[in-house]
This record gives sequence, C-alpha cells and structure tokens, in this order.
Amino acid sequence: MATILKADKLRVEYRSREMRQATKVALAGLDLEVHAGEVFGFLGPNGAGKTTTMNVLLGFVQPTTGAASLFGIDVRQPIARQRIGYLPELTYYYKFLTAEELLRFYAKIFGLARGEADKRIDTLLKLVELEHARKRPIKSYSKGMQQRVGLAQALINNPDLLILDEPTSGLDPLGRMKVREIIQRLKNEGKTVFFSSHELGEVETVCDRIAIIHQGELKVIGRVDEIRKPRHANLEQAFLEIIGFQAQLNP
Amino acid sequence: MKNIFAVAGVVIKELYRRKDFYVLFIVTIVLCLVMASVNIFNDDKIVRYLKEICLLLVWLSSLVIAITTTARQIPAERENRTLLPLLAKPLSRTQLILGKFFGCWFACGLTLLCFYVFFAALAASREHQLPVLDYVQAATLHWFMLGIVVAIALLGSLVFAAPSSNSTICFVVVGGIMLVGRHLDQVALTLNEPMRGITQVIYFIIPHLEIFDVRDLIIHNWPLIHWNFFGLALVYALVYTTVFLTGACLVFRRKPVN
Amino acid sequence: MTSPRTYLLLLTALLVLGFGLAADLQPQFRAWRGSRTQGDIFQVLLGDSRRMFANEFYVKADAYYHSGFYPTIFDNNEAFKTAHMAEDTGAVKSSNHGEEASFMGPPRDWIDAFGRHFFPDRHTHLDEGGPDDDLSSSDQVREILPWLKLSTDLDPQNVQNYTVTAYWLRERMHKTAEANQVLLEGLRENPGSCDILFELGRLYEESYQDTNRAQNVWQAAAQNWRPINSEDDAKYANDFIFEKISTALGELERSRSHWPLALAWFQAAQKVSRTPEALQIWIDEMKTNMASATNTPVALPR
Repeated sequence: MATILKADKLRVEYRSREMRQATKVALAGLDLEVHAGEVFGFLGPNGAGKTTTMNVLLGFVQPTTGAASLFGIDVRQPIARQRIGYLPELTYYYKFLTAEELLRFYAKIFGLARGEADKRIDTLLKLVELEHARKRPIKSYSKGMQQRVGLAQALINNPDLLILDEPTSGLDPLGRMKVREIIQRLKNEGKTVFFSSHELGEVETVCDRIAIIHQGELKVIGRVDEIRKPRHANLEQAFLEIIGFQAQLNP
Repeated sequence: MKNIFAVAGVVIKELYRRKDFYVLFIVTIVLCLVMASVNIFNDDKIVRYLKEICLLLVWLSSLVIAITTTARQIPAERENRTLLPLLAKPLSRTQLILGKFFGCWFACGLTLLCFYVFFAALAASREHQLPVLDYVQAATLHWFMLGIVVAIALLGSLVFAAPSSNSTICFVVVGGIMLVGRHLDQVALTLNEPMRGITQVIYFIIPHLEIFDVRDLIIHNWPLIHWNFFGLALVYALVYTTVFLTGACLVFRRKPVN
Repeated sequence: MTSPRTYLLLLTALLVLGFGLAADLQPQFRAWRGSRTQGDIFQVLLGDSRRMFANEFYVKADAYYHSGFYPTIFDNNEAFKTAHMAEDTGAVKSSNHGEEASFMGPPRDWIDAFGRHFFPDRHTHLDEGGPDDDLSSSDQVREILPWLKLSTDLDPQNVQNYTVTAYWLRERMHKTAEANQVLLEGLRENPGSCDILFELGRLYEESYQDTNRAQNVWQAAAQNWRPINSEDDAKYANDFIFEKISTALGELERSRSHWPLALAWFQAAQKVSRTPEALQIWIDEMKTNMASATNTPVALPR
C-alpha cells in the first residue's frame, strides 16, 4: 500500500524560557507511516506531542531535525497540502463571513473552478446539515454549527488525506455519531484519515491502526488488536499500561 | 496570484462589513456640510477652507482605516485561530502576507474613492469646475502613500505583540514623517554628533511620505504635477512598499503560528 | 411584596426632591461660576491660549494669500515676519527682509529637490491672480476671509484683524456692508480704537462718499489718540495711525478749501511723522492758498 504520510526521525525542540533547561524536546525522533486508505488513530496523554506532530505535518512548525512528507512531498512545500483537509481542535472561522462564503474562499485557495466549487459547497452543506444557515454570518452560529462548518471546510477539496485534531471534542453524542459516520464514509471511499483523540472507545471502533506517543516518543504502533490482545485488556487499559500509568500505581 | 487575491477578497469583505469606514465617512460628510453651511460675509464662493477641512478629514480617516485595519489582520487571525485552517491550505506564508497587503491596500483604495468623490462633489458645488486630472493625481499619490503605510503596519503587526501598540507606533511614525520628515536634515545641523549623524541617516532612510501629500496643490488650484515626477513618486512608493513587505515576509516565515 | 405603585410614588418623590434641591442651590451656583459666565465659548474653552490659535489662523490666512507657498518654522522666514496681506493694506509697518521667493534656498539634496515638485513652488499673491496669474480672478482673495474671521473671533482684542479683514472686504470684494459690520464689531470689542475708527472713516468716505460721517469718525479717532513714550515699533504704529488720521482730516478740509483747518491737521501730522519733509510740501501749499484766499472761520480741532 502507498505511504501517504511519513515522518522520518522527526525531532522538535523548543527553547525553554526557564534558565535551568536549555531546550524542551517535544518530539524525540518520531518515525511514523500512514498508508493509503486506512484510518489511523494518533493517541497520547496531554503534552505527549500529538499536536506538535500535526503542526509539523501541516507546516506550522519546522522540525529541528528529521523530515516529514505528505504524498511524497516535503511538508514545507505548500503544494503538499493540496490534497489534505484539516480540522483543528478548536474551530473558529471568520465571523463576518457566511458558511457559503467561507467555503467558497477555501475552494478558491484550492483552485477549484467556480462550478465545481458550487457543487461541492451544496453537497457539503447538506452533509453537515447547515443548508438552512448557509447565508447567515458565522458569528450567529452555535458551537455545534461552527464545528460542522469546520468539518465542511476540511472536506471542501475532496481530500485524499484528512487530518483531524480531536474531532469529537466538545460534541454531544449525536454530533460524535455524525463524525464517526463521516469518517466511516471516507474510509469506504478509499480516503485516508489521520486523527488524534482521547475518546478511546471511538478509536477502537473506527481505527485500522493506531500509534501511541508519550513524552515525545513513539511507544507503540500497530493494529488495535495487536496492541490490545497481548495485554488481555481493552484499549484503555492497554493505553495506560503503555504510557506507564499502571507502573506508577503499582511500583 | 489567485491565492493572494482570494485572501485580499476576504479582507475587503471584512472592511465593508465593519462599521469603521461608514462611521468615518459619515462624520466627514457631516462636518464638511456643517462647515459649508457657515455664512462667511455673505459670500458663497469661498471654497478653499472647505477643501482644506475636507481633505484633512479624508487624510485622517484614511490613515485610521489603513493602520487599524492592517494592524489587526495577523493578530486577529492568531487570536481567532483562523490562521491554522488557513495555513493548512496550499497557501504559503508569503502569499498570506501579500494577500493581506493587497486586501488592505485595495480596501483603502475603495475608501479613498468614496472620499474623493465626495470631496470633488463638494468642491465642484462651490467652484463650478471639476479638475479631474488634478484629483486623480492627488488620489493616486494618496493611495500609493497608504500602500507604504499598510506595509509598515503589516510588518509592525508581526513585530509588536498587540495591535494597539502597533497602531500607536505607526500613527506616531507616520505623523512624525508627515510633519517633520522633510526638515530632518535641517534639524540634524542643529545637533551635535553623534545625534547629527543618526538624524541624517534617518532622514535618508525613512520613506518621505510628505511627498505624497499634495493637498496644498489641490486646495489652491496649482497646475498638474509633471507626469514624469508623478510616475517617479509612484515608483518611489513601490520601492518602499516592497522593502517593508519583504521584511514582513521574512519575519513571518520564522514566526510560529500557534 | 412591594407593588409597582409604591415604586412610582418613590420615584416621584425623588424627582420632586431633586428638583427642589436644584432650585434651592441655583443662586449659590451662579455665585460660584464667577468670570466663566462673562466669557464667550472660546474664552471658556481655551482661556488665554486662544490668542495663540488666533495667531496661527492669522498666519494661515497669509499662507492662503500666498496659495500655500509659505515658509515653515524650519525655513528662513525673514521675508515673512509681517504678513503680506497686512503689509499690502498699508496699515502696518513691514519688518520683512530679503527675497520673498527664496526662503527655502537651493535644494539641499535629491530628496529635497524631488519633493519640491509636490508642493507650491512660486511666490504669488491672491489679489494678483494667484498661481494662474489670472488678474481677472483677483477676487480670489476672498479665500483668506474664513481664517481672518476665525482669528478675529478667537482674539477680539487684536485690532489688526479687523482692519485687515475690512480692507480686503472693501477693496477687493466690494463688500462694503460686510466691511462696515466687521469694523463696528471691532469697535464694540475695542471701544475708541484709533485704527478701527480710521478704517471706518475711510469706508464712509471712499465707499459711501459720506464725508461728513467720515469726518466725525476721524475726529473721534483723533480725540481718542494718546501718545506713548516707548521707542519700539508700538510707538511707530501709534504715531503712524495719528499721522494717517491727521492727514486724512487735512485732505478732507483741503478738498473743502478750509485752508486753516487743513494746515492745522497737516502740521499735527508732521509732528509725529517720520517723513516730515513729505508733509512740508502740503503745508507749504496750504500756506500759499491761505495767503491768496479768505477763509470763513470754522471751529478748529483741539
């Protein structure tokens, strides 16, 4: 299977403001591969390095050493993001734009022709159930509606790779179900989904493979069954064991 | 280029959906009409004071719009977290900066168009003449000057933490250049070294924005500026705009976005 | 639970109490305000700094007179110490020196040379056609009037504002009624001002052809005039206005062939004049006329 996303000995260091520590290591030599068509879960406790990894993949942060690529293109090239969709954890968009205008703006950046953009916008607004509010400014939207706008903008270019940062965070059960449905649909269409989440129940349900990262280091990567079964536990217990939480409880 | 103009389009939409421009435009109109209604020795042909007041208000309003609109672009994107989904698109940081610049600059151009049309109508109602070319020259020079100001404010928004501090510094710098920029070399002669040398260097380095302020020529009906010098002034503006924009792009490349 | 009616009654009671208190304190408040009740809006808002603003607007009027070609504080303004618009009225002594058109000097560098194409670069006067050199539009001098009016409003005690404004209204704009109004307003603010009375007399004589009224006003001016003992420009100005008043009265009497009166006025003018020899010519003429004519006795001035 083709490798869609690749991180090769990725290391990210931040200069610490405290005098005693010279640098803070956010990622320590991360090696990661995501293949085409799979749903990949990226797990870890808070501060593990998940968001830093995503920031590197999206070109927000330069790695100190190592490299990352999307579809074989270095992530530092803007063209690497031509075929991806990104949904950040906190979804805020231009309050003075309507949902339709926002999607049209992003469609222009992706270089979609006017007609194609119109069709995509209609389809996506129906998918996220914002058809009735397409002409209203986003500042009048509820939180749930803003999340759905976020999902729509992530899908505007019909991406081959979808990067989701905690997509169900703050959603009610109905919203979470809809997100799961969309992820499943994308998988059925042969798209690749790379997402981080704290909802291990969901991860167990939808993911083909997962990786667990802790303190900047990759602890384990593989299929959910491969990680869970040897430990004779569910994913949550396996997760806690892998990050060393059980060892802390039972020294 | 499409990316740049897409970003610029959003900036322009923001300007006409905010109230800043409308408030300043209406204030300008009201003040000018009040001034125009004043009876000065029963003479209704007196017009230059009105032109001066109107142009002063136009200049102040345009600077307020240019600086405040530009100063909040990047900080607002950061604060509202709209920067992340934007840069997650196939849009380079340079394109984003250029898009913001062109958006702010074109937005300033549209506001200037409205202001100068009002000014022309007001002047023509008294003078019964419409020197279109003179006004076109003045408006174009004004617009290009605002291009330099927008570029300065954009660079400032990446260097200074808060939009308010950036705006204040920009107003002070622009105001200072407009008022004393032309005379800095004379001021330098009155100082001792090393301040004399520093002042002279500043004199040659700063963009001389006062060159673009041709209000006196418009108010007092002086002939057109020679087109060669007009063109050179535009080139001068483009050079400085490019310098500041290049600085902004270089600074933004190194800045973390989150 | 308190009913809405109670709230209404309470509100009414408070209103009545407030109103009564305000009415009771009003006389005391009037006593507190002091001089603030006497000044106009500019006096109240700006205090004595209004004179600074008045001066700035006066200079602005002169800048308009030059269509914007005017020195800044950084330029050599020796040729602009006295406003040209006032100098041209003949009302003030000029303290200008040097070439009017060269206050900027030669270009100091390429920036200065380039920048000079973007602001007014020629010395012109509005009453001489302005930048277009169009003498048919010399009434463009109207453009200085708003700034003179503003200067007058801000500093009513500056007599020169009134006389300069009246001069341009009358001489170039042919707005005699407005000029008359300005001078009368100036007289209200500066009772007995010799400069304003003289200008008023000129207006009556030249524009209304009312020599009797002009004579009355000039005589009032002459009666109000007092010599001062300093040696600076103030003494010159004070003597100069008396010279003009006396000369004008002398001319008037001369036109009526009242030679003794005319002689008396010219001699009075000669006492304060800095160019007495010029007046001597007139005096000699009066004496010649007196010698060859018989005059009806007329009441002499004081």
